[in-house]
Amino acid sequence: MAQNFQHPFQCIQFVKKKNGDSRNVLVASAGPKIFSYAAESGQRLSIWPQKGADLPDANDAGSNPENEGPPEKKRKVDPASEQTASAASGKKSATWTNIPILTSTPDGEYLVALTGEDKCIRVFQIEEDGSFQQISARLVPKRPCAITFMDNNDILTGDKFGDVYSMPLIPSADPRNAPKTAWQERAKKIAATSLTVHTQRNLRSLEMQRQRAGENHDKNKDLDKPTYDHDLLLGHVSLLTDVAFVSLSSSDPSSARKRSYILSADRDEHIRVSRGPPQAHIIENYCFGHTAFISKLCIPQWAPEILISGGGDPYFLVWNWTTGQILQKVPLVEETPEATKEVAVRSIWAASFGPRRLVLVALEGTPFLQYFTLETNGAITPHQPLKTSGNILDVHVREDINTVLISVDCIREPGSTQEWRSTPVSPATLLEAFQLKQDTEMPEWETVSDSMISTINASETEVVSATTESKEKAVLNNSLYGLEHLRKKYFGEDDA
Amino acid sequence: MGATAKKRNRAEFRKKIAAATAETSGDASISGSPTPATLLRLPQKKYYRQRAHANPFSDHLLEYPLSPAHMDWSTHFPAFVNPDPTQTNAAGAQKLLRDVEVVDIGCGFGGLLVGLAPVLPDTLMVGMEIRVQVTEYLTTRIHALRNQQQHLLQTSSSTTSTQTQSPIPIPDTPSTQPEPSFPTTQIPGLYNNITALRANTMKFIPNFFSRSQLSKIFICFPDPHFKARKHKARIVSETLNAEYAYALRPGGLLYTITDVEEYHFWILRHFGLRDSDGDDDNREELEGEGKVGGVEELFERVGEEEVEADECVRVMKEATEEGKKVSRNKGNKYVAVFRRKGDPEWPL
Repeated sequence: MAQNFQHPFQCIQFVKKKNGDSRNVLVASAGPKIFSYAAESGQRLSIWPQKGADLPDANDAGSNPENEGPPEKKRKVDPASEQTASAASGKKSATWTNIPILTSTPDGEYLVALTGEDKCIRVFQIEEDGSFQQISARLVPKRPCAITFMDNNDILTGDKFGDVYSMPLIPSADPRNAPKTAWQERAKKIAATSLTVHTQRNLRSLEMQRQRAGENHDKNKDLDKPTYDHDLLLGHVSLLTDVAFVSLSSSDPSSARKRSYILSADRDEHIRVSRGPPQAHIIENYCFGHTAFISKLCIPQWAPEILISGGGDPYFLVWNWTTGQILQKVPLVEETPEATKEVAVRSIWAASFGPRRLVLVALEGTPFLQYFTLETNGAITPHQPLKTSGNILDVHVREDINTVLISVDCIREPGSTQEWRSTPVSPATLLEAFQLKQDTEMPEWETVSDSMISTINASETEVVSATTESKEKAVLNNSLYGLEHLRKKYFGEDDA
Repeated sequence: MGATAKKRNRAEFRKKIAAATAETSGDASISGSPTPATLLRLPQKKYYRQRAHANPFSDHLLEYPLSPAHMDWSTHFPAFVNPDPTQTNAAGAQKLLRDVEVVDIGCGFGGLLVGLAPVLPDTLMVGMEIRVQVTEYLTTRIHALRNQQQHLLQTSSSTTSTQTQSPIPIPDTPSTQPEPSFPTTQIPGLYNNITALRANTMKFIPNFFSRSQLSKIFICFPDPHFKARKHKARIVSETLNAEYAYALRPGGLLYTITDVEEYHFWILRHFGLRDSDGDDDNREELEGEGKVGGVEELFERVGEEEVEADECVRVMKEATEEGKKVSRNKGNKYVAVFRRKGDPEWPL
């Protein structure tokens, strides 16, 4: 019998415990599940959702039950989770097949995850034993593409429709936007009149609308409106790809208060710099320089006025975002005269290891982690990239131990987002770790092969059958590698 | 099929005009040689019909500058190009002597621009329109109007000094080509101050105009997008108003006019005038979408007296194609003008 693949980690997140808690926890999402591991030993602590539970939300304590609705879009459920479901004798499987966003509050207190198809933002607390306590689950009407936090820990989301919303981390028990029943009952007023529409067809359809408005009260409509507090802060007319929140010390010495900003990036090459709430409607400037979609904004903690951005361009840009000025344009692929393959930046990380400040860049569907030294004056030096055994999916930087943890794709061939490996390797390589060598002139890495990594790699995640049908393979590929869909496509003549 | 044949005819006609315009490309008017009669004739709308709606969310084959500093305005306003050849912008194009500062968003067939051109003869104005063929019509129309003015200038000067008349006889336009719309008076600005370009302003207005560049923005008879599901496609919204505020200088004006009463109230609401006109139903709708941003602190509504006295409002009501159509159908016109206030202080 053919061996099966293990679902790779889509996101990895390190949750550092502060208040005298005994251990740090590594959290990772694979397929429809989130796993927690002891960060020192690599021992698996917990899985969410629990296998035995009827519904993924069974232990959902603090959320409003009426928020939980069926997902709007019906999608084919991941074959892997179908298998486990049947193994658990007909238990209901999760209604999502992947968890594309996993992040934690800056203080490490809370974990926030986005479950894919049901578009649900879930806030967890990690218990002492590493188990997940879901505090809230909020369905959002449009798919969030980025989740970050403001300095008061409020959640900031940017969605597929171009809007940036803020919402409290913990939903209040008494939302101020409680829906009014009268509002749902209200018959929709028809905005058009015979004064504004004139053609026969339009007049006829207006007449029909009037008839329909007379007889039925559309009760189902608007039921999916969120019932929790959320504020619309700003919006682009484009798909948002990333959102960042920064606070800067005021240049005005008379004001001790920090000035906060929201940076939002979209598919149409824009990076907008707005003031933070309550003045998010004031646009300070734009950062112009990309010629393709943007996928990632990265602001190093040590230099909050510097922005590193990348996307569908074969380069990344280093900015002083407060002025919109480009400091560096750094190529990511070797320039060759013949047409090069299009590349997309999967993500960018900034790390400071002692005095050494690095920018790490991973391209979508490649097994190389490119890294660059970033000087305080903005100068940048490239280094020989770090090679991993599979496509890089996510990276977590542990500055305290000079280490990067890399989640690699153990299913697809390195360098391809579509081709699967011919045979699964056991144990699968889910994680790799590299440590920065001390006292070398140039930054150099050495592979870390401790028990923590091997324990995690030996533990199983989600089984993906090696004999998966090609159609299902494509669905799985898309859930991990979606960036090329952001590239603009033109079909034939354009006159609409 | 009749429809496709019609379509082909239109396309051929447009190509012919475009070719003729390209050949002379404005040089004719400068060099003083007579303008061919075809370039004096105004284009006919029937060759440039296009479906009234465009999807603002789709990727069109749009051309837009990387940033305002990369925008080449020199081809749009040849009369205003800086004569100093060293004055070039980030993309190497000739700079203008002054900045564009009036924009008509969704200019359609250009009634407003043509009407405003003599009212603000020293101000550079641009109409932005998402529909290709409509933009093409307006560009051809503006070229024809400029050529007519140039022609008038030449004929009037030639009558005073016959000595300078060129050896080639000027075509006798009125006799060979009956031209009822041919103007007999000169217009201030000679239509050199208006232009049109194809753009999706909802996505790309910041690519064209820098912060506080504009003094006036016009939004005339916007597509009402009646269905609630389509309201996101409306050109006025709280989130887009933040972009208009960015491009508009403090003291600058944003003009709106619509014949749809509900849209008028929508505009007022999205500029933060929530308590006006007691339109309770829709107010709740807005609240249901969460607390709205404070874009109202960036705009104030201009009083009725000032609006009535504004020449631009008169043009907006009477010279636009839609305005004329609404008058014909005896519809209502709802005008709202907003003044950009200065940015508030950072919270202390």
